[in-house]
Amino acid sequence: MNSPSPAPTIEIVRVWKRYLPSTTPVDALRDISLTLEPGERVSVAGPSGCGKTTLMNMLGLLDTPTAGEVRWNGRPVGGRSERERARLRLTGIGFIFQRFYLLPTMTARENIELPMRAAGVDRAERARRADELLEEVGLAPRAGSFPHQLSGGEEQRVAIARALANRPGLLLADEPTGELDSAATETVLALIDSVGSASGATVVTVTHNPDVAARSHRHITMRDGRVVDDRREE
Amino acid sequence: MRPIAWRSPTRHSRLQIVLAAIAIAVAVALPVILVSVGGGVSAHEIAQLQQTGYVISVSSAGMHGISLSHGLVSEFNAIPRVAASSPVLSVPIDLYAGGVTPTAVLAEGVIPDQFTPTLGPSEAGLFPSPLPLGDPTDLIHYANGTYTGPTTLDALISTPFEAASGIRVGQSIVLSPSANRSLGTAFRVTGVFGVPPSLLGPTGAFAVIVPLSDLQVLTGWARTSATPSSLLDASDTIQVALSGAAENDPSQINAVAAQIQSLVPYYGVTTQLQQAQQLENADAILTGFYLALSSVGLAVGLIFLAIVLVRRVESERRSIGIRRALGLPPRWIAVGILARGEALAAAGIVGGTVLGVIVISILAAYGTGAVKQAASLATYDPILLGSIAAGVLALACLASGLAARSAMRLDVVEALR
Repeated sequence: MNSPSPAPTIEIVRVWKRYLPSTTPVDALRDISLTLEPGERVSVAGPSGCGKTTLMNMLGLLDTPTAGEVRWNGRPVGGRSERERARLRLTGIGFIFQRFYLLPTMTARENIELPMRAAGVDRAERARRADELLEEVGLAPRAGSFPHQLSGGEEQRVAIARALANRPGLLLADEPTGELDSAATETVLALIDSVGSASGATVVTVTHNPDVAARSHRHITMRDGRVVDDRREE
Repeated sequence: MRPIAWRSPTRHSRLQIVLAAIAIAVAVALPVILVSVGGGVSAHEIAQLQQTGYVISVSSAGMHGISLSHGLVSEFNAIPRVAASSPVLSVPIDLYAGGVTPTAVLAEGVIPDQFTPTLGPSEAGLFPSPLPLGDPTDLIHYANGTYTGPTTLDALISTPFEAASGIRVGQSIVLSPSANRSLGTAFRVTGVFGVPPSLLGPTGAFAVIVPLSDLQVLTGWARTSATPSSLLDASDTIQVALSGAAENDPSQINAVAAQIQSLVPYYGVTTQLQQAQQLENADAILTGFYLALSSVGLAVGLIFLAIVLVRRVESERRSIGIRRALGLPPRWIAVGILARGEALAAAGIVGGTVLGVIVISILAAYGTGAVKQAASLATYDPILLGSIAAGVLALACLASGLAARSAMRLDVVEALR
């Protein structure tokens, strides 16, 4: 059985991210410093283009800073090879994307099993864990369905199950309800709340929606690539 | 760890995949056909050569370049382990069978008791033994170069000519060195001989065999034309057969060949081993040429494969981006792409080999002439075909490596945008 990754302490230290498109350079992140404690429930809000997704990409080790560094349990990740970073993403981080990003050629079950296959989990354990997750997200009867046969809410529930497959210590959700109707939004948010509490993982949710943000205990607000507010609820 | 299954491509990319596999199949079929047919023909020629009864051949540049043939026979036969030395004079000649219209035939002059031991097992059954040409040694007429003894004037005709002309044993024919019956000499047909199947053409189907001395006198190759008193006794080749185990022992064959060469340093002396080696060398050169020729088609097929795979990586940027974002090992993704390329190449190899075999079978069954004969001799060398397959797989690995490299260089953030 794949054991859960302990929730990490993540530090973002004076991070800048500058993109160099063909015209003028764009600073997506400007001198950001943050520390995420293990098990925190964090929301990141702000207007479009303020750098929320770029911040998520930094936290998820999908992107590298132009300046500054990201530390994972005190250890900088900048010096790690792509292979090591991929391994960390695979076992330590669960991604939930706004557009679900399920692989269209795989069934719901295969999508959920994919990270486990890549992590070397044996077939029987994969099947057992996939059944458990499908049950948890209420999609056991749809295990053999392909993404195009599922509703948006169902797709996102499969994506949540996939994100949890390797029991990550960090769950990153980028506008997880951005493409869902209100009923599906409630289901998905309840699910994220439930799995976040049950697993003890750090959950970071990027959202425009105040109702979504309200479910977190720490609220970060960004504007123009900077953190302009960082509040913890008592 | 198993690579990822990449399934359900779109209809358009399915078509590209099928076309890539077909391109490789066609590119593989070409060398399969060329190498198998070429190798088969070459192997057949070598086998034919090894089935001849003689193991050493003496020849000279130019037509009828060997002089004093009867004398050389005695000298060669005096060498230990030499069983027979058969001079052969081959001359195109006009044959008259009653009418005034000649038929062009190939006349071969031989010494009967020397000719028979130089026949191989497959040829021996085609000739009467002994040859019914009167004087077995051909020395009575030759009589030490005087050509004054009684002529035999017996002739054997080939079975194809017998069938075509209707001439039978006992009948008389006239052989003339020019298109003038009055310059000819009458021979009596004393027997017939079969013509061994000849590859790629009916060579020598219309032929007559006569005593060497008779043909030499008839065609003017007994004496020189400049000084008629001067002895020529010409032939084209002298084929030498060895006795007992010597005929299969390369060292003994080479030793006898060296002795013959010392007797006639001005003539070419080649052993059957050398001839086989020359054929094998020629075959190797041809095989290399066929492979080089085929590599052009193969290069086109593999470039097509590389393009198809790179295009698929482009069209699957999102899917690859998701996999990489989830943390799937880059090597895993690369292996998936390589496996896809290798699978396509393997399908092309199997398809191309099957296509090649089918084309050869069709040519062997329904082709005509030399093409049909050559196709029917095709041999499938597993080592050579395996090498072609391994080469294609290696090149396909290179081609899919380009696509894998492009997938590895994909910007994940960009791909997910």
